[in-house]
Amino acid sequence: MTAMTLTQSFVTALLQIVVLALFVFVAVPVIVFAERKVIGYVQLRLGYTRIAGGLHGVTGGLNRLMWWMGKLPFFSILRGFPSFIADGIKLFTKEDIVPEKADWWVFHFAPAISVVAAFTVLGIVSFSPAPLWTWPAAVPIVGGLPFAGVISDVNVGLLMLVGVASVGVYGIVLGGWASNSKYPLLGGLRSAAQIVSYEVPLTFSLLVPVVLSGTLNFTQMSQYLSGAPIQTSAGPAQMPALAILPLFIGFFIYLTCGFAETNRVPFDLPEAETELVAGFHTEYTGMKFGLFYLAEYANMIIVAAVAAAFFLGGHHFLPFGLQRFIPPSVPVVGGASFGWFLLWMALILFSYLWVRATLPRYRYDQLMHVGWKWLIPLSLANLCLAALVRYFA
Amino acid sequence: MFVFLEFLVFKTEEMEINLGPQHPSTHGVLRVKLRLDGETVVQCTPIIGYLHRGVEKICENKTWFQGQVWTDRMDYVAAVTNNLGWAEGVEKLFGIQVPRRAHYVRTLLAELNRIASHQLWLATHALDIGAMTVFLYCFRDREAILDIFEAFCGARLTTTAFRIGGLREDVPPGMDRMVRNFLKAFSTGIEEYETLLSENRIWKKRTVGVAKLQAKDAVALGITGPVLRAAGVPYDVRKAFPSAAYAEMDFQIATRPEADTYARYLVRLEEMRQSARIVQQCLDGLPEGPVMAKIPKILKSEVCEVYHSIEAPKGELGYYFVGEKGGANPYRMHVRAPSFVNLQALPKMTEGNLLADVIAAIGTLDVVLGEIDR
Amino acid sequence: MASFLRTLIPLDIYGGMKLTGKYFGKVLREANRARIRTHVVCEYPEVPVKLQPRFRGRLTLLKDEQGEIKCICCLACEKICPTQVITIEKGKKEGRKLPYPVRYDFEMERCIFCEFCVESCGFDSIILNHQFELAAYNREDFSIGMEGRFQNMFELSPVARYSVAEEAQR
Repeated sequence: MTAMTLTQSFVTALLQIVVLALFVFVAVPVIVFAERKVIGYVQLRLGYTRIAGGLHGVTGGLNRLMWWMGKLPFFSILRGFPSFIADGIKLFTKEDIVPEKADWWVFHFAPAISVVAAFTVLGIVSFSPAPLWTWPAAVPIVGGLPFAGVISDVNVGLLMLVGVASVGVYGIVLGGWASNSKYPLLGGLRSAAQIVSYEVPLTFSLLVPVVLSGTLNFTQMSQYLSGAPIQTSAGPAQMPALAILPLFIGFFIYLTCGFAETNRVPFDLPEAETELVAGFHTEYTGMKFGLFYLAEYANMIIVAAVAAAFFLGGHHFLPFGLQRFIPPSVPVVGGASFGWFLLWMALILFSYLWVRATLPRYRYDQLMHVGWKWLIPLSLANLCLAALVRYFA
Repeated sequence: MFVFLEFLVFKTEEMEINLGPQHPSTHGVLRVKLRLDGETVVQCTPIIGYLHRGVEKICENKTWFQGQVWTDRMDYVAAVTNNLGWAEGVEKLFGIQVPRRAHYVRTLLAELNRIASHQLWLATHALDIGAMTVFLYCFRDREAILDIFEAFCGARLTTTAFRIGGLREDVPPGMDRMVRNFLKAFSTGIEEYETLLSENRIWKKRTVGVAKLQAKDAVALGITGPVLRAAGVPYDVRKAFPSAAYAEMDFQIATRPEADTYARYLVRLEEMRQSARIVQQCLDGLPEGPVMAKIPKILKSEVCEVYHSIEAPKGELGYYFVGEKGGANPYRMHVRAPSFVNLQALPKMTEGNLLADVIAAIGTLDVVLGEIDR
Repeated sequence: MASFLRTLIPLDIYGGMKLTGKYFGKVLREANRARIRTHVVCEYPEVPVKLQPRFRGRLTLLKDEQGEIKCICCLACEKICPTQVITIEKGKKEGRKLPYPVRYDFEMERCIFCEFCVESCGFDSIILNHQFELAAYNREDFSIGMEGRFQNMFELSPVARYSVAEEAQR
């Protein structure tokens, strides 16, 4: 790092940002695709298997291709693949309608706030322990430099994450308010109350690994969960076996709050389809709606990434610090890898879809009840447990 | 004294909001005008008439035979029971004796239709509350019933299943097997709905104690059907005034004392099970014989009036006919539509509750707008 | 204490998740290739829909073995029709004793497929075929006569060529 000139570090960061943005822009449609497929399969359907259009021309050819894909073992799952490109084209090219009585500035800025908050947070998530690749020497400016798996390895990463992510709610509240319509207003107000109250247990449950290890940094947390001793500003730390218990409880509290933070079933009150039509984005069309959509799915990726990094072993195979039982000498499973991180993220994202397909939706007051009367005391008790473990270990 | 501090006091005002007629969970074109204080419902006014087609008036201009096709289109999710009410009402008016086999087949189909209607209710009610998957599981099992209807009379929804005096044709070969297959699939299907909902904490939170309607109010409002039985009143037209082959069937009236949404859910599930029992009995005890009585080609009525009611899936479905001398068509026809009467309970159920409970209440009343507006 | 624990440990949710997970796994494994399928989707229009023999489709006039129209214009179907979609014009034809329909018009957009006409016909000269794809681009195409540009009283509409299996095109 020290060898980098200012230009080099600037260009490296820029490249990383581009790669990350591309990753999100690809991952979100893939999640949407997976969502439709998973919910389809759960409901004994096939999800989408064709695209709109005639029997002739490009669409006809694609439809025929997908029909034949249906007969092949693995490819049958991928039927309907062109639709996620079609979704993007549709969102970009749709007419952009602004309600006459809407607050023009706020209406336009609200989706941007949501997206900016979501993407900023992604900048501090450490996806890979080691550099993903090294640029070959022939490349100008950055030749010979590594391409790290994290844009900025902030040593107060978690603090920044919680802080910036909570800005995202402004997008929803302002979007709901600026539409000057009744259903979006109700949706925006609901989400304000919901996200503010679930922020508390979310943070408390995230504090558990922090208290145990004494670090807020993604990479160090991953090392800690693998059982290796780490050196933090709060002193050296190594994971005791008992720490598995608070981590385990904390993970479930975190996941529940994560559902609420990203407005997913069973806490999808701000956009409760059968009550508020579409909630806060009822009046949004085209790409402004697309940005809300993007922000929601980017937030899902963040929640999954944080859960993977702070509870599920980060870049290691086994969750909750069980990795200590596998010596690092074991091939593949023993080491830290980019792949394990993505695997855990994928599993958590799948659980989002699975839960969405199964559970009904809470009512507004019951949501508050669950948040304040159950999750906050539970997460506090769990935090105390973690503190005890840390103290006696 | 502290008038200058008035700006510190939040000014609140009630918000008027239109739930429908184009809304995902008002089951068609029901419009509910709500006055909301925050999310609490202060006043709730159902507004109907968006689907009015004048069925009663049309039927007055059609012959006794023809009128049946309009009954299909009233409660379109339970067309067979509507047909049954029409056919039996006209038969009562003309004093036609229907063969026993026809009675059995009618009972069988009507009970299958009750299961189908309750499945559709459960599907949409669960979807309103947010459980998406029950919807498709219900439709999977309902599909088999619609196939049976298609095998029997050629149509899936607008069945026009019966004729005055019996049935048009005997049951097709192979329908017996279809019904038995359905009963087998249904017994596992209903277990699955229960697994997903009955014990689910979120489902219970959304339904237990929500949209209560006590027996006293229900009787005063004229509510019938599962909503009344869930309030603990064991009134069922099938038992009280048995028609078709119900008198020979062995079944219980499902009741619950709680009078809330969860009780109505349990009552309807139990009714589905009882209906399956009746279907089984009809199938096992299906008598041999003709399916059509001897009736004249043109029915001419005397001066008379007849009210005939049956237990439709939504409640008591009554047909009122007035005939004139030599009339080939009803002089006056009126339908006591259960959904129409049941909808009256909506303000009583929802006022003072939250917005989300209105959705649950509309769902639990199981209204079909085709029947309300007629 | 028991209820506290029951609230804390979500066994009820676990049951539902297990059920949906089971179906997800089954459909994922069997999607499109297993002979016994868990999913309930019929992949219309590639796979034709299986209809029951009594299915009520569009009204069709029948011809006897000599290619002669069976209808003898007794107007029973016209009278019984609840929505009055049938109009018949009586006529004479060389070498035929019985009346012959010069015009047999059928307004499909108003038809409710109740099969009363077929029931009333004493000569088995009309039938509801198995065609259910009744879409057309023009309103005029719904008025079907003895000879029609798009479809007529004797043949299926071109839209139906995929879905109605050969043997069902009676």
